[in-house]
Amino acid sequence: MTAGDTRACGRPVRTEAYLDLFQMLTGIVLVAFMWAHMVLVASINLDLGGGRVMNAIARFFEATYMAQIGGPLIGFIMLVHFVVAARKMPFRAREQKAIWRHSVNFSHTDTWLWIIQAATAFIILIMGSIHMWTVLTSLPITAAKSAGRIQGGWWFGFYLLLLPVIELHVGIGIYRIGVKWGYITRANRAQLHGFDNRLTFIMIGIGLVTLLTFLALVKA
Amino acid sequence: MGRTLKFNIFRFNPEDPASVARMDPFYLEETEAMTLFIALNLIRENQDPTLMFDFMCRAGICGSCAMLINGRPDLACHTKTKDLPGDITLLPLPIFKLIGDLCVDTGTWFRAMNERVGSWVHTSKTFDPQEEEERMDNALAEQIYELERCIECGCCVAACGKANMVPENFMGATAFNRIVRFMIDPRDERKNDEYFEVVGNEDGIFGCLGLLGCEDTCPKNIPLQDQLGMLRRKMGFSQVKHLFRALLPAKRIAK
Amino acid sequence: MDTFYTDLVCVGAGLAGERVAIAAAVAGFESICLSVVPPRRSHSSAAQGGMQASLGNCCMGQGDCPDLHFADTVKGSDWGCDQEVARLFAQTAPVAVREMAFWGIPWNRVVAGKGVYYKAGKAFEKIESAERAGAITARDFGGTAKWRTCYTSDGTGHTLLYTMDNEVVRLGVKVHDRVEAVSLIHDGGSCMGVVARCLKTGKLRVYLGKATLIATGGYGKLYRESTNAVINWGDGAAIALNTGLIPIGNPEAVQFHPTGIVPTNILVTEGCRGDGGTLKDVDEERFMNIYEPAKQELASRDVVSRWMTHHMRMGKGVPSAYGPHLWLDIRHLGAQHIKTKLREVDEICREFLDRDPITQLIPVRPAQHYSMGGVRTDKDGAAYGLRGLYAAGEAACWDLHGFNRLGGNSLAETVVAGRIVGEKIVEFLKGHESDFKTSVVRQAVSREQKRIEALIGSGGNENVYELRAAMGDVLMDQVGIFRNHADLRDAVEKLQVIYDRCRKMGLRSSCVHGANPELSAALRLPGMVRLALCIAQGALTRTESRGAHAREDYPERNDRDWLKRTLAFWKNEDDVLPVLEYEKPSKVWEMPPGERGYGATKIICTLDPEICGLKPETN
Ligand SMILES: Cc1cc2nc3c(=O)[nH]c(=O)nc-3n(C[C@H](O)[C@H](O)[C@H](O)COP(=O)(O)OP(=O)(O)OC[C@H]3O[C@@H](n4cnc5c(N)ncnc54)[C@H](O)[C@@H]3O)c2cc1C
Ligand code: HEM
Ligand code: HEM
Ligand code: SF4
Ligand code: F3S
Ligand code: FES
Repeated sequence: MTAGDTRACGRPVRTEAYLDLFQMLTGIVLVAFMWAHMVLVASINLDLGGGRVMNAIARFFEATYMAQIGGPLIGFIMLVHFVVAARKMPFRAREQKAIWRHSVNFSHTDTWLWIIQAATAFIILIMGSIHMWTVLTSLPITAAKSAGRIQGGWWFGFYLLLLPVIELHVGIGIYRIGVKWGYITRANRAQLHGFDNRLTFIMIGIGLVTLLTFLALVKA
Repeated sequence: MGRTLKFNIFRFNPEDPASVARMDPFYLEETEAMTLFIALNLIRENQDPTLMFDFMCRAGICGSCAMLINGRPDLACHTKTKDLPGDITLLPLPIFKLIGDLCVDTGTWFRAMNERVGSWVHTSKTFDPQEEEERMDNALAEQIYELERCIECGCCVAACGKANMVPENFMGATAFNRIVRFMIDPRDERKNDEYFEVVGNEDGIFGCLGLLGCEDTCPKNIPLQDQLGMLRRKMGFSQVKHLFRALLPAKRIAK
Repeated sequence: MDTFYTDLVCVGAGLAGERVAIAAAVAGFESICLSVVPPRRSHSSAAQGGMQASLGNCCMGQGDCPDLHFADTVKGSDWGCDQEVARLFAQTAPVAVREMAFWGIPWNRVVAGKGVYYKAGKAFEKIESAERAGAITARDFGGTAKWRTCYTSDGTGHTLLYTMDNEVVRLGVKVHDRVEAVSLIHDGGSCMGVVARCLKTGKLRVYLGKATLIATGGYGKLYRESTNAVINWGDGAAIALNTGLIPIGNPEAVQFHPTGIVPTNILVTEGCRGDGGTLKDVDEERFMNIYEPAKQELASRDVVSRWMTHHMRMGKGVPSAYGPHLWLDIRHLGAQHIKTKLREVDEICREFLDRDPITQLIPVRPAQHYSMGGVRTDKDGAAYGLRGLYAAGEAACWDLHGFNRLGGNSLAETVVAGRIVGEKIVEFLKGHESDFKTSVVRQAVSREQKRIEALIGSGGNENVYELRAAMGDVLMDQVGIFRNHADLRDAVEKLQVIYDRCRKMGLRSSCVHGANPELSAALRLPGMVRLALCIAQGALTRTESRGAHAREDYPERNDRDWLKRTLAFWKNEDDVLPVLEYEKPSKVWEMPPGERGYGATKIICTLDPEICGLKPETN
């Protein structure tokens, strides 16, 4: 590289800028979806497992075709997000070794957060797909059907794993978007990160309660 | 006080064909106000004269003495032994080329960095010795100075997971900070698109994963996080208008 | 053997070296800068307080002009400087500051409106005019009539060096870092370049140039307690001295800075006192107001350092495990001021002293700081003794500072001299073709090769680090702030013993691969001891007190016998003492010797009509 190279010459390649923006946008959409999804599923708790509220909401989404169209659309966005975000993941053995050695020696919170995000991503890819396939191929959604799955035991274990995994990925994801794009600054980082952590715990809490409600209260 | 410190120091001399990479133990009685600068010199002068390390200002202002101190990059000269456990592991900074033991070649790396980012005021004007200086608001001067305080120690690069993964190419927080330093300087005539040429890519700001190792280790406490965020926003959003231009027919925009 | 050919071999990539290389590059000449560290780590980066130039922008600097700057500099030097050089310097300094601004320095600027400033611990009000708002401002420094010291917070040297190196990068000037010049190549008449040692591989190299510049900075590390960086060994002066042809000018003129922190001798800037900080003793009482009613804490450095030492000798020092010290008090300047204008000081106190300067006192005492002496050059920067050899910056005795340098004049010197000497070198290069005599080059290299081999195989039992420490002790204890015949006599003898022991140095490491720090130190030490002998012998011989050179047994400034510059030569390899010669400090006497206005001493006047301006009585 010589001194002259720094002046613009010809058309710059903007791909990376667009991809990065895209990664952020899909990330935000997915986070919004996940939190909304959690609230919707948790509606089962509102009438103490009666299922009327949840069923009503589910009917609304299906009647307006939001589930039929939105579902696959979310699936698609997830795929796109995966493809875009996977650029950042270390696939070469040398890179994996380097980041692992660095993270272990350095013991630094935000570096670990990213490792967690990258690791959870793979679990989500597989488990999220299975879950969506299952739910979307057996529409309509009803409280009874969901409870049936969960009370079967196998799905209970499945969700018990997927729940923290996705909430961690999402919680860390939104924090890191804030950092990368400069909305979380040196001045407010500690505060906002604390807030974000609390939100993640609350989401996991709600999810656990919901799972228990399905398991114990709802009649299959 | 009264501790005996154990130093585990990385040893390797690439110039010596017989040398193998290893960790050597050294023991030293701790004294009052001991810094790693004092300790390493004592070891060299009294125990092993071949031990290689770099110090210059010994005051935390020149950036010579960065190394991994129990895994964290920091300046050895301003690190006091009393703040460390009795077992101290010292490794050279990763990413930079090893010269020997704790010495790495930051000089070559930073020269390349400075060339790459065009670390100077780009201007079409020429200096006129008769002319008075251009006026500048003092607050802006202080803002520039804040970013100019980087001492090119390399800690932020060594602390960056991304740089550890792709050591050859990633520019590192110090480079991003340098670019913002010129962006906010009205004397530099470069436009966003010109900066984009330099950092608008995967080796540049879009390769940054936001790991904040840089922010959390910079010994000069430079607000790197804020510069990185600002740079990504500027570089990312400034390109959106190009996207719209490309997507929409030109005439519609003209209206 | 790697051999590099270029137009200008620039030994040193600090401010002075790089400024000269830039001048050469702009004129279309190629240069290679050598540096033992990456260029931005050069010691210039450690300068904190600022750079003097009579811009006169701020209200306290109004009416300033090169004439006043010139007068302050000559007074500061105790009339030991070259007045032609001082004149040239004062005139060019404003241009140099503005040029650096053009290249990107974020100089602090004038802020219009009311402000508070402190002097002698008391608050005063000042009003900056709106008309000058945004122009480069200045702070107060010792020994100046006006506020003249331009600054960027207290990182002035850092921003200057980074900006200078940015220009070097822009122009594509080559810098070979981690390369140490070990001797000059010359045929007795012209200089052809240097033999250098690569500190990455340990191999010898040859750099051949039509012109060679020495800009290696100061030699503070000869002393045990110095504010200087650990690489300020005085290489440049030593390799010049070793030729036997080039004299060191005024080696005995060594400056002690009043405020090195205890125990590490890290400097806290004169800006602390310039901005209103005060010195206090064990009773937390001020004392400079008693000794120097006019300038108080802001008398020149030599004066303040002496009074501090005197005060401690009177038992007024604060006892500590590291010996007595005094206090620097900047608490009254307030958190806002300290956090913006003195941030390095703030950081140094916190990191190295575990103290908060906003609420606590800072332990200080004088430490070696600056070498006024150096490779003697004429006003064009051309070294005495060899054609094609130049020197600039702290390594040179250009001679701007005489027997005491004013704070802020050294950064200014590096860029001003860099500009001026650079142009002179360009002139020289334009009219010059050189042929490099291979036999001379071969000889120079083989001499260094032999020294290395001798050291590695010597089996001697003297330890380089012990010898170096012994030298540092002698200089510190006996060639320090106050000097006297007995101590100096003894110091010279001790240094001679050390010099002799250098011949019996042996390495404990036999590794020939790579730089080998012990070998580097051993190669360097004999030159350092020679330089130390120049300092001690120069001081012993000079039976007067002038500037930083203070003889207890000769307290008066003796213009009659000693208004002259020392030139120290090491004429033969086997000599055990330097040969001292003398010359007049200045060709012109714009300002005849007089009172400095601080540090009152008795003056024995000169009767030389050329100097004092008096016509000899004719009858
Ligand atoms: C702590 C401190 C604070 C100061 N503050 C101020 C201040 O506020 N204002 C002011 O005016 N002055 C100040 N000074 C003085 C001033 O900083 C120096 O005098 C000035 O920067 C010297 O610049 P230079 O270019 O001559 O040398 P340096 O910057 O010291 O550069 C020397 C260069 O020579 C190289 N070198 C050395 N030996 C060799 C060799 N053998 N071979 C090859 N290269 C070699 C080095 O690597 C380096 O690049 C301060 C000094 C100190 C110690
Ligand atoms: C298919 C499975 C998924 C994979 C493989 C995946 C992968 C990744 C990876 C590797 C990152 C880090 C990228 C970086 O830091 O630059 C990331 C970021 C992110 N992910 Fe995922 N993810 C998946 C699913 C999801 C889902 C379902 C959501 C939300 C519901 C989500 C939300 C986010 C967010 C918000 C970010 C931060 C975006 C950013 O840093 O720009 N991800 N993802
Ligand atoms: C649009 C697509 C989606 C629909 C319609 C949907 C629907 C549902 C429904 C109905 C349940 C209740 C349990 C069940 O019936 O088995 C549920 C639970 C759950 N879903 Fe989804 N889901 C979708 C996408 C996702 C995605 C992308 C993820 C994460 C990758 C996810 C994670 C979970 C988790 C973790 C639970 C358990 C919640 C709890 O703890 O109670 N879902 N989802
Ligand atoms: S930004 Fe900080 S950590 Fe990075 S090189 Fe500069 S001073 Fe060192
Ligand atoms: S650590 Fe590295 S990934 Fe970015 S935020 Fe700092 S440069
Ligand atoms: S030696 Fe200069 S920063 Fe440590």
